Amino acid sequence: MTEQTTPPFLEVRNLAKRFATRQGREPSPWVIRDLSFTVNEGEFLTLIGPSGSGKSTLLNMIAQVDVANSGEIVFGGDVIGVSDSKSLRPGLDRRIGYVTQDDNLLPWRTTLDNVLFPLEVQGRLDEKSRAHAETLIKAVGLSGYEKYYPHELSGGMRKRTSLIRTLVYDPPVILMDEPFAAVDAQTRIQLQEDLLRLWEMGRKTIIFVTHDIAEAIALGDRTLVLTKQPTRIASDHKIPFKRPRNVKDIFALEGFATVYETIRKEIQ
Amino acid sequence: MTAIQEVVVAPAGPFLSKRMLIILGRCFFAVLLLWAWQWSADEFGMIFFAPPLAVLQRLYEMAISGEMLQHVWATLRVSAIGFVIALVAGLALPFALRLSHRLTEAVEPYVLWSQGIPKYALAPWLILWFGIGDTPKIVIVVLMVFYVIFITTFAGIRAVDRRLINMARILGANETVISREVIWKSMQPFFYSGLKVALPRAVGATIVGEFLVSTQGVGYYIEHARELSDTVGVFAGIVLATGLVLVINGIVEKMERIALAWRPQDREMSH
Amino acid sequence: MKRYRVLADRIVVLIVLIGLWQLASLYFGTYWVSTPWLTISRFFVSTFSGEMLRHAGYTVEEALVGAVIGAVPAIILPFLLRRMPAWVSVLDPFMVGGYGAPKLALAPLFILWFGIGIESKIALVASVVFFIEYFSTLSGVRSLDAKLVQMAQLVGASESQVARHIVFPGAVPHIFSGLRIALPYGIGAAVIAELISSNRGLGYLVQIGAMNFDITQVFAAILGATVVVLAVGWVVDETEKLLLRWRPPADNALQQVNA
Repeated sequence: MTEQTTPPFLEVRNLAKRFATRQGREPSPWVIRDLSFTVNEGEFLTLIGPSGSGKSTLLNMIAQVDVANSGEIVFGGDVIGVSDSKSLRPGLDRRIGYVTQDDNLLPWRTTLDNVLFPLEVQGRLDEKSRAHAETLIKAVGLSGYEKYYPHELSGGMRKRTSLIRTLVYDPPVILMDEPFAAVDAQTRIQLQEDLLRLWEMGRKTIIFVTHDIAEAIALGDRTLVLTKQPTRIASDHKIPFKRPRNVKDIFALEGFATVYETIRKEIQ
Repeated sequence: MTAIQEVVVAPAGPFLSKRMLIILGRCFFAVLLLWAWQWSADEFGMIFFAPPLAVLQRLYEMAISGEMLQHVWATLRVSAIGFVIALVAGLALPFALRLSHRLTEAVEPYVLWSQGIPKYALAPWLILWFGIGDTPKIVIVVLMVFYVIFITTFAGIRAVDRRLINMARILGANETVISREVIWKSMQPFFYSGLKVALPRAVGATIVGEFLVSTQGVGYYIEHARELSDTVGVFAGIVLATGLVLVINGIVEKMERIALAWRPQDREMSH
Repeated sequence: MKRYRVLADRIVVLIVLIGLWQLASLYFGTYWVSTPWLTISRFFVSTFSGEMLRHAGYTVEEALVGAVIGAVPAIILPFLLRRMPAWVSVLDPFMVGGYGAPKLALAPLFILWFGIGIESKIALVASVVFFIEYFSTLSGVRSLDAKLVQMAQLVGASESQVARHIVFPGAVPHIFSGLRIALPYGIGAAVIAELISSNRGLGYLVQIGAMNFDITQVFAAILGATVVVLAVGWVVDETEKLLLRWRPPADNALQQVNA
């Protein structure tokens, strides 16, 4: 769809972040510094870094729920400042979806009502969008659980709910912060397959943060390796495997071991 | 142990039989209390203890003559008016304070200190000022209830998960929607625990107010009976007041269970 | 910097509040609303002449004796019943009923039984304190960490050692949060009983002031009662802090929810 000459879909430029310094203490170290990268439209970008690298902070800043100290984000042709807390626009007018590490489902809403929540608050709840929501619920195998409260669902089901809650309102970019970190290995593979299937349906732009190398390779078109504090981009890998992919068999693919080893060595 | 007995007992299982034991124990305890009451009446005499049956008979007479309804209605009317005023103020103020952190910090100590004022002690002054109508009682009820609602609401707003608010913002919710859908909903447990304290307290405050000044109401009935040394009347009035408050408690708890069905613990309890 | 700003804000609020009070007394007349100055000066005169102290001491005595009589069994009972959950269940509806019942409505009954002296006030305070403290202690005994008990049993602690070293320290915060609610409430109950019928105490002082249309005395006595309530609350807080040094500092806002 996009030509090679068009500017990137989303660009992060020279982002830097340090937390506020307490009075009388030494200035706190930089969490993120000189961080720049680009994402193309419809690209599945995975970011991988050691724990403690400012991965969540980075996504928070792109999602505009946290301020940067300097830097900017270019998105859809607009240059967006991210260093003034007063001008932050969380979710940037619903164009940036964010699947956080915790599912953050509203505990007093059922599965269906949680999925419909964004449509409701955006005033877009109608027959068509409701049908779309139901399709998504079916697609991830949550049919029959529509009337359940979050505490009655398993961890994997809650993840699926929070995933389709973001997909349901169709934001062009979706950020994902280790969404599958807290579930068991079996469920994780299923969730990854669900995610890939949903992505094949719509080909959104996804920025997916993980600390699991296999996950980064299995899901991504491209993988960026982050350094430890202060976080920067260490390297950029194109993942050569054809789609649609089968997550379970990813280890058996020719060339997987080479990519895996290369990335593993780059993560300090 | 015959075979038949075993067959009969076995399906019940240890759980049910334990349940039965508890129910039996409760019945036994209730009978014990009634017996102690009767015994006290015999031992100390009618002036100090009205026998249970006499109290029951008095309540029955009150119910038949319509006197009961009249007193209960008077008490509930004052409680309800005061309660609603306090509820509105106690809810609105914390939501208003949410807009200014600075104002919250500035008024916080005074709100906490003023909590220490024994509100009932204002009654004689209020009676002087407003006369013997409903107004002084309503003011007392408002003061008693307001603090409970205000503080539970305040704590509830503070305890809202910041992540849920952020999430709602990302999904496109504006501040009004966030107040209604995230903050109001997530402070429901606080709201109900406040309600459970506040509603009985509203009735209790009305009754105490009626002790001090009134011409009708459950509190008036009790105090009037005491002045006439009508011990049966005192007991009947107290039983009536207790019943009234317990019924209100039951209603609030039922409401809470329905409203908070989404919470894990409440779910388990209702099963 | 910020601390001074908060302090300055609070002083401004205080001045505004006192100003409003003064305005109210100007508007309605000191006959209905005494002025801040008259109230404060009467409070101090009365305190130094010993009158206020005598009445306050009487009220505090009622509240403290009543609180001890009410709280001691309320604290002991859940510990005795710890190993007998069935008994707790048997008692439960009666305790819930007693907790919910309007104890202040019992005031006329206690006056009937014990007369208008100190005994009726003590009984009322005890009945108020007992149920609040019972449920606080019970929740403390129940919230006990089963893993800690297991650990203690593994290292060879006896039943009474478990009670003393594991259950009791764990329940102390709950006991205190109960007292934090029950004691001010108990003082309130004592004052109410004094209002209804008494010949001494702060409630009596208020009542007498109202009878003589001496609003300054009413206000000064209410101020005295408030000071007593706040002082008792402060003592409870400080004692708790002293006893609970091992606890991480917690947000106190929640503990005051039921106050």
